[in-house]
Amino acid sequence: MGHASEVVLRMEHIVKEFPGVRALDDVNFEARAGEVLALMGENGAGKSTLMKVLGGVWPYPTYQGDIFITGEIRRFYNTREAELSGVAIIYQELNLIPELSVAENIFLDRQPTNRLGAIDWRRLNADTQALLDELGIRDFTPTDQVRSITVGKQQMVEIAKALSKRARILVLDEPTSALTDREVADLFRIIRKLKQDGVCLCYISHKMEEIKAIADRVVVLRDGRTIGEVTPIADISLERIIARMVGRDIRDMFPAGTRQRGDKILEVRNLWVDHPDRPGEKSVSNASFCAYRGEILGICGLMGAGRTELVSAIFGASPGAVHGDVLIEGSKVDIRSPTDAIEHGIALLTEDRKALGLFPGQSIAFNTTIASLQTISAGLLGIVDAGRECMLVENYVAQLGVKAPGIDTSVETLSGGNQQKVILGKWLNASPTIFILDEPTRGIDIGAKVEIYKLLDRLAGEGVAIIMVSSELPEVLGMSDRILVMREGAIVAEVSREEATREAIMEYATGARRTGE
Amino acid sequence: MQNNLLHFVKTNATLIALVVLTSALALADPTFSTARNLSNVARQVTIVGIVGVGMTMVILIAGIDLSVGSVVGVAAVVVTLLMQSGLAAWIAVPVTLVLVGGVIGLWNGFWIAHYRIPPFIITLGMLTIARGVALTLSGGSSVPVVDPSFAGLGGGYIAPLPTLVMLAISAVLYVTMLVRGLGDRATSGGRGHVDGLAAGVIVAALGFALAVYVFGRGDGLPVPVAIFVVIAGIAIFVLGHTRFGRRLYALGGNEEAARLSGINIYQTKMIVYVTVSLLAALSGILLASRLNGASPNLGTMFELDAIAAVVIGGTSLAGGSGTIGGTIIGALIIGVLNNGMSLLGVSSFYQLIIKGLIISLAVWFDVLQKRK
Repeated sequence: MGHASEVVLRMEHIVKEFPGVRALDDVNFEARAGEVLALMGENGAGKSTLMKVLGGVWPYPTYQGDIFITGEIRRFYNTREAELSGVAIIYQELNLIPELSVAENIFLDRQPTNRLGAIDWRRLNADTQALLDELGIRDFTPTDQVRSITVGKQQMVEIAKALSKRARILVLDEPTSALTDREVADLFRIIRKLKQDGVCLCYISHKMEEIKAIADRVVVLRDGRTIGEVTPIADISLERIIARMVGRDIRDMFPAGTRQRGDKILEVRNLWVDHPDRPGEKSVSNASFCAYRGEILGICGLMGAGRTELVSAIFGASPGAVHGDVLIEGSKVDIRSPTDAIEHGIALLTEDRKALGLFPGQSIAFNTTIASLQTISAGLLGIVDAGRECMLVENYVAQLGVKAPGIDTSVETLSGGNQQKVILGKWLNASPTIFILDEPTRGIDIGAKVEIYKLLDRLAGEGVAIIMVSSELPEVLGMSDRILVMREGAIVAEVSREEATREAIMEYATGARRTGE
Repeated sequence: MQNNLLHFVKTNATLIALVVLTSALALADPTFSTARNLSNVARQVTIVGIVGVGMTMVILIAGIDLSVGSVVGVAAVVVTLLMQSGLAAWIAVPVTLVLVGGVIGLWNGFWIAHYRIPPFIITLGMLTIARGVALTLSGGSSVPVVDPSFAGLGGGYIAPLPTLVMLAISAVLYVTMLVRGLGDRATSGGRGHVDGLAAGVIVAALGFALAVYVFGRGDGLPVPVAIFVVIAGIAIFVLGHTRFGRRLYALGGNEEAARLSGINIYQTKMIVYVTVSLLAALSGILLASRLNGASPNLGTMFELDAIAAVVIGGTSLAGGSGTIGGTIIGALIIGVLNNGMSLLGVSSFYQLIIKGLIISLAVWFDVLQKRK
């Protein structure tokens, strides 16, 4: 551990400007060999931009300031130069080719060749196996196709790939967002091993518990600046970290006060959903429940418990066939498409914001009005009233606190939290009476989360029935009046706010406890 | 100010390219800038232009229609055959539109929307099917036009006086639209793009002046040009100011998100593929009228000219972004280039090479722009 205190990475006075925005505004920090440095901050705080500067994605001289690697100034004109200097970055969206094998991915474009220039498969696989052994990975082999292994294992492939390039500085950008608990444990084991080997790890995450578990020191970014010094994790409380991140203390994340349950508006009876790819299997089995005006109904469960499938089926967006009855205000409805669902006053905020929610090249205004064009247009021809659109959208932007130069701004340039607010605006404009939200706060910062909680509370107060699917237990517990727990496609428990505890829900979700026990 | 100018140049690069090209040709050959020649160019451009309007919509929804050239051929053959069989021109034309444009559009749309077959493949199939139908129906030889009233459609003129009146009316319409647009922005408190507006007004004024110069005397305004202007006007309005237009941009930008936002994907795709076929059939009819007969090979490779016009006009092949205005400029660039090179006596072999280079250049410039 002789090299443990050596500073291998120092970033000084880093400034990066985009048209109209200063994404990084004097960032300073250093990281040492053999440590895990947690890089924290809300979405839009500049973490990803900073890592792109480090990785050469934003090449010199598109930024100002200096990057020192083991004491020497380095200026990367492209990502390859950063790689050669020992910097490896593993982005949230993995950069693997699903059709190729693990070994081919790790040595992509660097495959060992024989004298004829053809790929030397035996050496390729042997080299890969050696690398996997070194990391203690036994869950997959070099010849496995990447598409056939789980996301968690794909992450390991990325790490192995980085190490095969002799990375001394390894950046992990929200590595656990799609991992199961077991995979997270595996990842942490590997991180600890790399630490011992003297690799400098920069770990970007929103999850406080992970930071406590794995990081040695923490540095916080806010509005493109480093807030405070790099601090040993032992010397700082979670509350202090959050305060640094948001610039204020957050005591009450969830709105206080009681809600008045209104009339029953939605009833689902014996809903079955066929699995779209596996004939004979069901992704939702015999689900029955009700939702009431003025109430927030939480739906939780582990990954793959059928939550998203259930709400997609109600919204008419299920890829698999749906059987069963859906009643709205007591009468049976036939919802075959999202168009039908919206007509019946249902809105669904989807889990995957980028793929299923946003129109990337389009403006905030376009994205806000697209699901309810009748609100800004009239007549058979559907002529759009630009003035009315402008007024409506300005109103939502102000109401939701979307931070953007104007309503003509392309949504691509917004941070995750602001994009989510735009999508919320889209559904608010459709004036739903049943508002289903699938993971409404995934990947967004604490400040925006709190704003969304307040909004949901207000909507419930106005008599909207809110159905919130979430994997974050504190959120489900803090927001819901009633909680449905799903396991293996079925609703296994209904828990009231009073009796809901973390433990009870986890026990139902994992099958450790059954109703009636 | 310098920044504004730079911004203007960047966002209107194709328009500037057109102006430069036109000016250069006017200097190089005096016959180019005669009203008669320009009128001729306009008439030639309309055929590709009309197809290009439909193609813009198809490409906007991230699709493609390779069958338009063959549809031009079938429509030309069918309309002339129908007249030969005794139908009057005014009946033969709508029947052809429905029979050729409607049916082929529904066929393409059905496979694409219902079975999600890639549009490239299904319209490639239709490219050969329709060409085969044109050859079969005509027996491989040209079909003459028997109804003399038919010639007016593609070869006729609207006299200078009514043309001037129409130009005046459209100028007034344009100004009202501008004023209304300003009003919209003013009431909502948004800041208008005054620089863009000023540039737009100057371009429009120049355009009207040119139109008066070319069509306001002599024979007047060619009928197909008038038809094209009306179609383009409607398309610009539909794409920019209606629900349907919004749906196209949404569908091309993110189809899954569009579906989940309640947009009827099936219906929207059907309408688009039928529209492009109808417009291609109309082009075929106009062409048969102007040539006073239909060869089954009419419209061969038109799909490439139409796609080139759309792409030069800045519409993204990935879908979700693009304008009809751009396509019109693209079609004009191709038309002016063809005409100019012929006037200058450039061999038709070289013309092909130059045209290809210009398309590549336009796409390269577009990519460069987007990378910013």
